[in-house]
Amino acid sequence: MDTLLKCLTLLVATPLVPAAIIGLVWGIIGGALPGISASVTMSLVLPFTYAMDPMVAIVLLASVYIGAEYGGSIPAILIRTPGTNSAAATVVDGYEMKRQGRAGEALGISLWSGVIGSLFGLVMLIGLTEPLSRIALAFKPMSYCALGLLGLSIIASLSGGSLLKGLAAALVGMMVSTIGIDPISGVDRFTFGQPDLLNGVKPIMVMVSLFAVSELLRQSGSKSVALGQQSVRITLPNLAMMRRLIKPQFIGCITGTVEGLMPGGGGSIAAFFSYNEAKRWSKHPEEFGKGSVEGVAAPEAANNTVASASLIPLLSFGIPGSNSAAVLLGGLLIHGLLPGPRLFEQNADVVLGLYTGSLVATIAQIAVGIVIMPVCMWLVNRPRPYLAAFIYLLVLSGIYTINGSLFDLGIVLFGGLVGFLMKAFGYPFLPAVLGVVLGPIVESNYRRSMLLSGGDLSIFLDDPIAVGFLITAVLFLSWSLWREWRDAVARRTEVKPA
Amino acid sequence: MGKLKAAMRLAVAAAAVACGIGIAKAAPEAYPQKVVTLVTHSSPGGGSDVFLREMIKYLNRYIDATFVVENVQGGSGARAMSKVATAKPDGATFYAITPTYVFTSLMSKVPSTYKDMQPVVTVFSDAEVLFTRTDGPFKSLKDVIAHAKEKRGRWGVANPASLERQAAERLKKAAGVNAAIVSHEGGGDMMINVLNGTLDVGVGEIQELRSQLEAGKVRLVATFNSKRLDGYPNVPTVKEEGFDVVVQKFRGLAGPKGQPPEVLAIWERAMRGLIADPDYKKVYAAESLVPEVQGSAGATKLVDDFAAESEAFLKEAGAAK
Repeated sequence: MDTLLKCLTLLVATPLVPAAIIGLVWGIIGGALPGISASVTMSLVLPFTYAMDPMVAIVLLASVYIGAEYGGSIPAILIRTPGTNSAAATVVDGYEMKRQGRAGEALGISLWSGVIGSLFGLVMLIGLTEPLSRIALAFKPMSYCALGLLGLSIIASLSGGSLLKGLAAALVGMMVSTIGIDPISGVDRFTFGQPDLLNGVKPIMVMVSLFAVSELLRQSGSKSVALGQQSVRITLPNLAMMRRLIKPQFIGCITGTVEGLMPGGGGSIAAFFSYNEAKRWSKHPEEFGKGSVEGVAAPEAANNTVASASLIPLLSFGIPGSNSAAVLLGGLLIHGLLPGPRLFEQNADVVLGLYTGSLVATIAQIAVGIVIMPVCMWLVNRPRPYLAAFIYLLVLSGIYTINGSLFDLGIVLFGGLVGFLMKAFGYPFLPAVLGVVLGPIVESNYRRSMLLSGGDLSIFLDDPIAVGFLITAVLFLSWSLWREWRDAVARRTEVKPA
Repeated sequence: MGKLKAAMRLAVAAAAVACGIGIAKAAPEAYPQKVVTLVTHSSPGGGSDVFLREMIKYLNRYIDATFVVENVQGGSGARAMSKVATAKPDGATFYAITPTYVFTSLMSKVPSTYKDMQPVVTVFSDAEVLFTRTDGPFKSLKDVIAHAKEKRGRWGVANPASLERQAAERLKKAAGVNAAIVSHEGGGDMMINVLNGTLDVGVGEIQELRSQLEAGKVRLVATFNSKRLDGYPNVPTVKEEGFDVVVQKFRGLAGPKGQPPEVLAIWERAMRGLIADPDYKKVYAAESLVPEVQGSAGATKLVDDFAAESEAFLKEAGAAK
């Protein structure tokens, strides 16, 4: 009761509500611009917070994070461009729904699922920080490596037809991820003396080039200009739909919580994973990839859960669970707040303010979403040539802001060409994206494990988490292979009589 | 990028106004430039960024100019280094240096290296320490070394191209022990592995450990600094423990080559004044930064000596280009 009263006082007596709303709106805008990731959006406002009251500053930054995680899905659905890394999985069914004229429905589901994810993450953050932070500590390099392998095992079901082509795409993705500075030894790899490649090819560049640029190239080949005017109204899910979304959202919330606890992931793994699991457990798995509502709900719930859950290791150890949480850490430090076990005792009011502010931002998300969505939908309803030019501008300027480097634009345009060819020859994009995201996690943690053990593979067996992940990976893989085989047999028996 | 710059300028201006209300003692020294850009490759909130931003809050008391921090990210610092190395040597552009810029120069092919810049001043030496989890089996550096001799040590460092890694490798060599030196993607990553017992010890800076130290989750084993740290007088130096390894993580500024001598002199005087400023002292004492001001000549020698030592070391380890 006392706490509740304090929260109410905070709401009334401090500029917490405006901070949360401004942060949220800024976050949605930044998140919606491709290339401007959640962490960049936060870095941009960080200098403005220096002169603010610490609690207001932290609420502002946290709200930006919440907004950005949601905002990334808007271009993913409307223009096939993930605004942030973690919106990549939303592209698949979200953009498909938009093509079927169901943009308003897709945006409504993503908004609703985002709110559910944020709320779930907040409940975890407020209620279970203590026990969950202990789980976060249990992850060793072996566990991370095994998690990466588990992630790669879902390639088969993301391949959409040919397992071989899916594996090839994933392999290329992993190869791209090795460009840059070797994470363990620190020497340059595959940079060909080009300093612009030292930081590697960022996953967002791969996603933007494969999804957005290749789509633009494809569209410029089609003569049809008529897009069919779509309604610009956002449709929030009705009760029946809400009930249907509970399962994928629940899957998203759980995977999002787990990933938020583990530093390094940043939301995209949870998004992919929940997409895959939602498909596995769905009553309508055949709809996935063809505009499934569940395919939008799961990753959107997941990436919003990560935003709150990654605050758990941040607040309890000062260890950020994502790049964005790292910026928040910077914000805390600049205000002389030291995250860690004692933060809750020494700065209880800041923590309470953070909880309250995040809650305000989450609720405001619905209102802000309903207001800005029609504008976004109106924008993408313009005639195709205008729209294409606008998307090029948006994509290229977004990528340019990452490093301020023209070289990166070259990479993205070249990647778009590669994507165009991949599409033409039936190679799926998702495994390639997964390869870029997971490659470094598997590689660096495998090498770390080998360093720790002196080259003895049995170190994996000493880590129960790793063993658990590896067994699950083997099960997933066998299941996919079995299905592949069964479908192949089914196809053959169908062909025979003819 | 333009927006970012504008945003930073605004923030800096706001900070300057906020600080101007504080005590203004002696008038700040006249300076040939009105606006001085301090470039860093670190992102807002990162190590060198915080160093610069904390510093410029008080710098106006000593130098009469407006200071702007510009974050030039990308290319592992190569872009920031090129930007500064190719600027005019007129006292308007400087780069925040730490050993990282020497490592990047030595380990990667970059268009401008540390040799293309002139160290202007070094201000601090960070506190580099060896730490372990409090409830672990290691009480002292001797325990850590004994374990590594008997079985196999597992030592962690935050990044592959870092002073911490060099410190760990040199200690391993000096003690003649068998230890795996495992590099991570940043200090947070490594901290988890120290806390959960995957690693025996980690090498890091006090600033990164403060929350765990205050909570009593980790314990300092030894410091790699030349002297014991003021804030932790009970922690011995590695040298006292019998291993001749001293590393110095310098922090300072470098500029394009050919700076006017009066600019160099102004910076040295300003920095000496700044570290004696009681308000600024509070800031850096909390982070266990050891003030060690050197003018351009001293700073240049320090950087050159460090680079020669590191190059020899990296060549031996097979990591230099």
